Amino acid sequence: MGRLVLRRLLATIPVLLLVTAGVFALIHLTPGDPIDVMMAESVDASVKANLRAELGLDPPLYIQYAAWMGRLLRGDLGRSIRNREPVIENVGRRIRPSLQLAGLAMAISLVVATPIGILSAARRNTSVDRFGTSFALFGICMPNFLLALLLIFFFGVKLRWLPISGYTDPAEELVPGLRSLVLPAVTLGLALAAVITRTLRSSMLDALSEDYVRTARAKGLSEWMVIRGHVLKNALIPVVTVLGLQLGTLIGGAVITEYVFALPGVGRLVVDAVFARDYPLVQGVVLLIAVGFILSNLLVDLLYGWIDPRIRHR
Amino acid sequence: MATILVAPAPSRSVRDRRWSTLRRAARARLAPFGAAVLLLAIAVALLAPVVAPYNPLKQNLNNTLARPDWTHLLGTDNVGRDVFSRVIYGTRVSLVAGFGSVVIAVLVGGLLGLLAGYAGGRVDNLVMRMMDAVLSFPPLVLALALGAVLGAGLTGVVIALGVVYTPTFARLMRGQVLSITAREYVDAARALGAPGWRIAWSHVLPNATAPIVVQASLSVAFAILAEASLSFLGLGIQPPAASWGSMINAGRGYLQQAPWIVFGPGAALFITVVGLNFVGDAIRDALDPRLRA
Repeated sequence: MGRLVLRRLLATIPVLLLVTAGVFALIHLTPGDPIDVMMAESVDASVKANLRAELGLDPPLYIQYAAWMGRLLRGDLGRSIRNREPVIENVGRRIRPSLQLAGLAMAISLVVATPIGILSAARRNTSVDRFGTSFALFGICMPNFLLALLLIFFFGVKLRWLPISGYTDPAEELVPGLRSLVLPAVTLGLALAAVITRTLRSSMLDALSEDYVRTARAKGLSEWMVIRGHVLKNALIPVVTVLGLQLGTLIGGAVITEYVFALPGVGRLVVDAVFARDYPLVQGVVLLIAVGFILSNLLVDLLYGWIDPRIRHR
Repeated sequence: MATILVAPAPSRSVRDRRWSTLRRAARARLAPFGAAVLLLAIAVALLAPVVAPYNPLKQNLNNTLARPDWTHLLGTDNVGRDVFSRVIYGTRVSLVAGFGSVVIAVLVGGLLGLLAGYAGGRVDNLVMRMMDAVLSFPPLVLALALGAVLGAGLTGVVIALGVVYTPTFARLMRGQVLSITAREYVDAARALGAPGWRIAWSHVLPNATAPIVVQASLSVAFAILAEASLSFLGLGIQPPAASWGSMINAGRGYLQQAPWIVFGPGAALFITVVGLNFVGDAIRDALDPRLRA
């Protein structure tokens, strides 16, 4: 297991370097002078010159990259142009609602998808299965901003059961906090639930056709025991893979969901920074998101080794 | 003997195989619905000026937020524009973004994959690590960041989404190249002295087409969703031009008084994506029954 961790960590280094190069290049892809794009024409020339010096945009590109990397390695991700605060502080303030949203969405998706996926496979080609596969298709094809608006329309506007925007921290006020997160988490969780349902159903069907399942049935085990004891464990590996692969979708979905529900999370921070043309903040946050994404995928990779000993010894 | 090994398959059998693929695709239960939706969307996009009952940009401040009726099938928006006509014109944006970005991704990704798989060694390593780096960004965040620096508008969105989907096709193509170049008929072609580009063109490309087509057909649906998401956030087509995502965003402030502003383009988007998924699934099942879910 130690060798697996080391191998995966080493493989991550060149990718991380290329990611930093990509994020660094972002500001230079701007058509025209980035300073002119970021600041209005009316802004004083000396302010523009100060920003240019602060961002170090004058030296040749390789020197700029080396200096930027040097700052990164010291933990300096730059400062926002708007509030002059370091990127890390901006993100620090916004990370809590995002993590709460992602955690709740993941929990909802697992609670919904696990029974539907299992029943769909166990009752293949019945109305239960048709419901399961239709649910998966609906969740995959439904854009989350549209689902968000549908939920706001029915549960917020028509029934008035839940707040349609805003955020209360559940750690401070539990019930109002959870109420403020229910609609965003359902919005975000449904797409994930759809993908998990599809994968679980398909991997359960594969596992159900294995010889050891026939043996278990021949021993006289009940269908439930066969599924719980033999099928489910083997069907879980592709689900973990999908959970890893879907982290990107979850983060992207969080950008939209936080925007629609006015949640003050990291996703909303990216959108706001893009519209304010606050490129240092965009660079910093996108880099942090990418690094978080790479590390989560690394964790999922290591999780396989833990779940499936065959991978560990390969 | 060697000549027989490297000769291209007779055109008749290729044609027969294509027809049987099409027949298999059409037999899939939901494929006809998907194909009908796709054809309808293409026809509507091409004939938008003919089929749209009103000018999609024409405002009528005396008839704002009108309910759907026979004169305005999907009602009017907050400045009195006909929602149905705007949905029709929005089809153009969605299809151009969906197909345009996937064409870019297939061309660029396909070429990079071909290069990586064929050249091997350092080139392969560099190209694939670059693709891994692109894949390290959550797709929507990358598209958002690229869209931000490329500027709002359809071109920026198509390029941004093209970049996002490129690694998928590069990986796919590289995998195909590695598996195909290990086959005996490629060895035979090499032994006969065929140059690398010719082997790539006449042996690798034709055999790698099937998985690329499958992936492309499914990617179009996701690219349409992604374009709508970016337009919803305000980065795609700019007002007053019509795109489904931006229409939904503009309508969300009127959800209580005029939900049709949101639900008209929303339904068009959902049905198109479902239709494209059915078509993609049918093509996948027809070309590679092993991948059937």
